[in-house]
Amino acid sequence: MSAADASAARPAQEGARVPSGRPLTPSLSRKGRGRLRAGPWLLATPAIVLLVLFLGAPYVDMVVMSLRTAGHGTPYGTGFTLHHYAEALGNPVYLGALGRSLMLGAIVTAGCLLLSYPIALHLAKAGRSHLFFYAIVISPLLVGVLVRNFGWLIILSVSGPLNQVLRGLGLIDMPLRLLFTQGAVALGLIHVFVPFMVLPIAGALRKIPPDLAEASDALGAGRWFGFWHVTLPLSFPGIQAGTILVFVLSVSAYVTPALLGGQGRTFLSILTVQELLGSFAWPLGATLALVMAAAMGLVVLGFLAATRRLAERTAR
Amino acid sequence: MTEVRIAGLRKSFGGQPALVDVALEAAPGEMITLLGPSGCGKTTTLRCVAGFLAPDGGDILVDGRSILDVPLRRRDFGVVFQNYALFPHMTVTQNVAYGLRVRRIGAAEIASRVAASLAEVGLTGLGDRLPRTLSGGQQQRVALARALVIHPRLLLLDEPLANLDAQLRQEMRALIRAVQRRQGITAFYVTHDQAEAMASSDRVAVMERGRVAQFATPREIYQRPVSRYVAAFTGEASALAVTLRAAHAPDRYTVGLGDAQMEVPGAAGLSPGSRHFLMVRPQAVTFGPSGIPATVREVAFFGATQQGEVELAGQALRFVTDPNERVVAGETVHVTLDPAHAWLMPEAAA
Amino acid sequence: MTVPLRLGAGFVLALIYGFILLPLVVVIASSLTAGELMQFPPQGLSLRWFARFFADEALMQALVLSLRVAAVTTVAVTVIGTMAALAHRALSGWARQWLRTGLLLPLLLPELLTSIGLLFFLYRIGLGKTLIGLQIAHAVVTLPFAFVSIAAALDQLDPALEDASNSLGASGWDTFRHIVLPLVRGGIVTGALFAFVTSFDMFTVSFLLKPIGGNTLPLALFDYLSYDYDPTAAAAAAVSVVLAIAGVVVIEKLVGLRNL
Repeated sequence: MSAADASAARPAQEGARVPSGRPLTPSLSRKGRGRLRAGPWLLATPAIVLLVLFLGAPYVDMVVMSLRTAGHGTPYGTGFTLHHYAEALGNPVYLGALGRSLMLGAIVTAGCLLLSYPIALHLAKAGRSHLFFYAIVISPLLVGVLVRNFGWLIILSVSGPLNQVLRGLGLIDMPLRLLFTQGAVALGLIHVFVPFMVLPIAGALRKIPPDLAEASDALGAGRWFGFWHVTLPLSFPGIQAGTILVFVLSVSAYVTPALLGGQGRTFLSILTVQELLGSFAWPLGATLALVMAAAMGLVVLGFLAATRRLAERTAR
Repeated sequence: MTEVRIAGLRKSFGGQPALVDVALEAAPGEMITLLGPSGCGKTTTLRCVAGFLAPDGGDILVDGRSILDVPLRRRDFGVVFQNYALFPHMTVTQNVAYGLRVRRIGAAEIASRVAASLAEVGLTGLGDRLPRTLSGGQQQRVALARALVIHPRLLLLDEPLANLDAQLRQEMRALIRAVQRRQGITAFYVTHDQAEAMASSDRVAVMERGRVAQFATPREIYQRPVSRYVAAFTGEASALAVTLRAAHAPDRYTVGLGDAQMEVPGAAGLSPGSRHFLMVRPQAVTFGPSGIPATVREVAFFGATQQGEVELAGQALRFVTDPNERVVAGETVHVTLDPAHAWLMPEAAA
Repeated sequence: MTVPLRLGAGFVLALIYGFILLPLVVVIASSLTAGELMQFPPQGLSLRWFARFFADEALMQALVLSLRVAAVTTVAVTVIGTMAALAHRALSGWARQWLRTGLLLPLLLPELLTSIGLLFFLYRIGLGKTLIGLQIAHAVVTLPFAFVSIAAALDQLDPALEDASNSLGASGWDTFRHIVLPLVRGGIVTGALFAFVTSFDMFTVSFLLKPIGGNTLPLALFDYLSYDYDPTAAAAAAVSVVLAIAGVVVIEKLVGLRNL
């Protein structure tokens, strides 16, 4: 029996009901089970310790670090100052890089959405071949960002296949300089993040009862009308999740901009790492990282506010 | 042979009471059925006895000793689950042997006890199959064998027939009852099906919103229900508002229904002059040349019977008759009630 | 749908699937070239660049370090993640929700920011630029992969099976060993594999927390791409692709992809 059959075959537990119909005993079997009565928190302790100590504390440390004075010959000084925030928010170099990073995030998110939606629709519908196409979408995740960027390095190089094809078609006379441009970075990131967009959308699509589409058909609505007014809105929870994920990941991406991007007008993630590892200016680096986080947070909050009504109506 | 007493059992979930004050007992070898609609607390009661839930108050005594402090795995109760809960990765034999294996019993004894248990439920020869290759009825037999092979002090069955079709249900019901009787195991049986409850238990506890509404033999529950709730849940019944004219014996009364009068049995100690309910089973109703006039509202042909509803003195009354009797909707008939299938209940008991 | 529309849709889908696979195909093909230059399509076929890769001492050390870090990470994270997933199953209400959210945080927070925080924190507690520090960081970032996969498998497990096992006299450990573990093995293997691959491929964390004298394969590959641009790098990349494919095959053999 497959896992799905098992859960379908599991009958609902009898639960005492109040007049509102809320089941009183949804977790009958979770409570008072013979094992684990004192145990859940004991079992979770290693994970909690690991995360509090090596995820929580580092983020706190990052905030503290951003308030430190700059050091001389050391990564950071002993005093405290707000100077780095003034620097990060006042220096056009950093603000420009932040703007480019946010713009990159927007472009990559839009590109991912465009490429992912058809794939998600296909995955949600595909029958027996489902596993094969699912594997195609997952496979890049198993290979690592570096290797995938490497592929683009070869494809986009001056003597690479893309230039060859374009010349073969007679579209260009001279090979184009495709690499080390912001376009290359966007392309590389779109490729990296497509799976992160496909999976949540496909998940949301699969939750839409098929009879809704049939109902739309039965009411005489055309395919496009039904898609536009039924399928697309109902998949919005997936779109929302994928959009936020891809936006945050692409604004904060480091490897792809470092490998496929140019030297000049660069992105905030690159500048941040340069301050940290190149100049050993840890407080400034911490500040830049936090400014980036704050900017991403504001954009995400704005997006959530703008799409609140749609999300509320389509949430399930 | 095990005797069980449950007293004052209470349990709430998130502040909402599921069991209010449940009291029950089972004599050695008795089969007790907990009957009620979903949410009445019957499964919660069973899960408290099994040890899957810890009650908030009250006590469960098995052979005079409280089992509340006995951990689940030391209670030695056999549990049969609604969805069988067979271990999908083990063969039939391995499933049945599991309870013996964790008791560190020797391989030879395990083999003989498993074989005997499988023979008892009629599954000899299917030992090497995986549960998913068996039919629902066969799976339920495996579950029963698995619960019995550990020689449980108590057998607990949670809606064991709910997932079977009608014919298999009857077969399994007979099997469960036969095995339970043969081995003399005290058993608690949870169901929402009144026919199942009537046919296969020594006593029935009808539960209502976390309490035991009535705990008695199937016959008494059916013929002398304590409330309209119990009457309705144990089979089809009409409740007619009547006026109590006189009491003859402690439990025999004369009641007035419209212009007619009749003598009926009822709960003890009802006072004359007040209004009460007369519970009437459909089979109490007969039509004849004389009796109380009534209008046929509806009638439907069921093959073996003919059932429907008449309006009598402005009240609805269900009936069941021979299928060949001529009953036509809209016509007037004369109704006679057989007191043996009627029961007078106080109005408050509604 | 009309035939032209269906064909058009199929064409668009093929293009997008092709886009997803293209870089992987190009890297593997380039690694098989017999020529001197990294190019696509390759000039003739040979395994010479693989031989070069396996003969390169620096790359080999990096490969061994990567495998070691990934192996330790996988064992640690699978054990911790399984325990956390069991706890998650046993809890209910807000506690369950908080535990889940907390365990997913490393996946939701940008890797770059987490790495920067760890850079400061590990330095302050004296683990800066050490292998232990790197190992801890890998464990933090890969923990959600193990947890999610195992918790999902546990969610599919009928609680009545554990009740049945306990009622038959099994101890908590017996129930875990004989019932829970065999039935969620697929989820555990998958979680472990995801943790391994994620750790093996992890770049940003390793880049910022790189131990002194310790290069992981992605770091070495990054250096290679930045300085020596020859097909050895493609061979190195192809090795990690092959590793990923081997992982998928292992899953299929052990538990069957369909059971994921």
